[in-house]
Amino acid sequence: MKLRISAALTAALFALMLSACGSGPQPPAKKLIAVITPSNDNPFFKAEAETATTRARELGYEVTVNSHDDDAHKQDQLIDVAIANRAAAIILDNAGADASVAAVSKAKAAGIPSFLIDREINSNGIAVSQIVSNNYQGATLAAQEFLRLMGEKGDYVELVGRESDTNAGIRTRGFHDVLDKYDGLKLVSRQSANWSQSEAFQKVETIIQGNRNIKGIIAGNDTMALGAVAALKNAGLESVIVVGFDGSPDAIASIKSGGIKATVLQPAATIARLAVDQAHKFLTTGSTGAPEKQSIDCELVTPANAGQFGLFGRK
Amino acid sequence: MILDYLFRLRALIVLAVLVITFTALSPAFLTAGNLTILVKHVAINAILAVGMTFVILSGGIDLSVGSIAGLSGIIAGGLIHSGLVLHPLGVIVYFHTWLVVAIALAAGAAVGAANGLLISQLRVAPFIATLGSMYVARGAALLTSNGATFPNLSGSPELGNTGFLLLGSGTYLGIPLPIWLMLAIAAAGVFVAVRTPFGRRIYAVGGNEKAAELSGVRVARIKFWAYVISGACAALVGLVIAAQLGAAHPATGETFELNAIAAVVLGGTSLMGGRGSVGGTIIGAFVIGVLADGLILLGVSEFWQIVIKGLVIVLAVILDQMQQRYALRAAAALRR
Repeated sequence: MKLRISAALTAALFALMLSACGSGPQPPAKKLIAVITPSNDNPFFKAEAETATTRARELGYEVTVNSHDDDAHKQDQLIDVAIANRAAAIILDNAGADASVAAVSKAKAAGIPSFLIDREINSNGIAVSQIVSNNYQGATLAAQEFLRLMGEKGDYVELVGRESDTNAGIRTRGFHDVLDKYDGLKLVSRQSANWSQSEAFQKVETIIQGNRNIKGIIAGNDTMALGAVAALKNAGLESVIVVGFDGSPDAIASIKSGGIKATVLQPAATIARLAVDQAHKFLTTGSTGAPEKQSIDCELVTPANAGQFGLFGRK
Repeated sequence: MILDYLFRLRALIVLAVLVITFTALSPAFLTAGNLTILVKHVAINAILAVGMTFVILSGGIDLSVGSIAGLSGIIAGGLIHSGLVLHPLGVIVYFHTWLVVAIALAAGAAVGAANGLLISQLRVAPFIATLGSMYVARGAALLTSNGATFPNLSGSPELGNTGFLLLGSGTYLGIPLPIWLMLAIAAAGVFVAVRTPFGRRIYAVGGNEKAAELSGVRVARIKFWAYVISGACAALVGLVIAAQLGAAHPATGETFELNAIAAVVLGGTSLMGGRGSVGGTIIGAFVIGVLADGLILLGVSEFWQIVIKGLVIVLAVILDQMQQRYALRAAAALRR
């Protein structure tokens, strides 16, 4: 008896769910743009998501904002939700160059154009736009400034980002394409600190035990550079030159107060705004008027010009 | 007999092998400077692991410690950096540094207390209860700062909240404060586990809960306090990290729970509860710390560091199993 009741209830529930699927949610009065980025505990992605949201609302769209936490599976589910919500466009900072191709294709098959920001995918013609900051150009810019500050010689340490991340690889390649040409520069230690401030702090503390003579540290992002600065300060080695990457507000504050010596700013806000503008143009005219792959140059931030920069863009 | 001793000392032997290896391979390893830094790094994991030892001895597990560290750091960071904003009154309250530390520790203990209540009163499995609070505490940390980092925690003299950074970078008799904190926590942990009725009851609860209950031990109460201790230790770690960096980040402490559990297991505490020691845990924390810092000094790649750490943990547990079988056989032989 009990079994039969529960079976009936289950059947009723399924019927309800099926009917809900059949009719689908009503198309929203306003067109919807789904913004999907990595975790917003990083100010970079937060700036990206907030700029895209603000711009889309200005243009009269409904906006949903979600984070995939660099998990391709979660990203796939969020794309499913966007499809179910009949989004007009998706703004995506993806969770992996290869792992994201299928999800973006699925959106395209459902008739939803995707506009990728910050990171590319390893496939052309699926997304409408792929707008990224030029990580390689930025890395060479950072390396050239590092070289100048070092006086082209001395022992240095490199802190690499999470080594499974495409951008970590591109940045370290950019650094070395510049620095390896100079025989006076010696790389005494190269460690990954996984983009993390506390990990960089501990690793630099240990590294300087074995290498008291280091003159500079070049880091694949600003949080690791900030961790390095804290460790050097504790050890009384404030004269060591630290250069970062990203142009986060914390790094710019540190440059102003004499901690980090330089960073390169990725124009995350500019890119997010551009992507929304192109989505709007595409939805209204059928074309963005721009090529699919677009690369925006990074800018060098030094004590001399730090005052000109705000949240991942020029003020 | 000798074999028995060797088994008992296995974590110490692993530690000695590591120290000798690294000393041979790197001239910088066995120097006063490096050892101080190394012990300071070990302190983070050791403090977490002492709390974790009580939980595991009681037959539980605490997956929330990393998130509690993140939460306590962000609470302290927020109180120092931007104060407590009382919206209806339109005032911002800044607390004295000691009060900030007390509030953050209390927050960690409160999450621990919630774990304890869920597990002892509502009978939620420890793995599930602390998995839940791991997410809730992490989310609360992110909400507190809205995902941002609280930078520049040096405080200001007008507000009377300077001095927080000393917790991370201060020294006493030339030794960094985090090391003193670890020594104090370890000593207190050993004392509580060995010399107090509470300690003996934890072993009883973890060894055989039913028997402990029948012999009059208030099992629920013992379990509750084990999680409170673990939560408070985790909060202290969060404070030390925030003070070292001079900045509080809400993602601090991710995967710390696994390092703490690894230290406890390496130290010979059984994940089934009832068997183990705080002293062993400290040695376990040293094994992990020496391995991490030594491999960095040698310039070994991150990927190999992870592989080697995993292998050492498995090796230690295999030795643990061998010892248990050996002890059983020895006991059986004695009875015959």
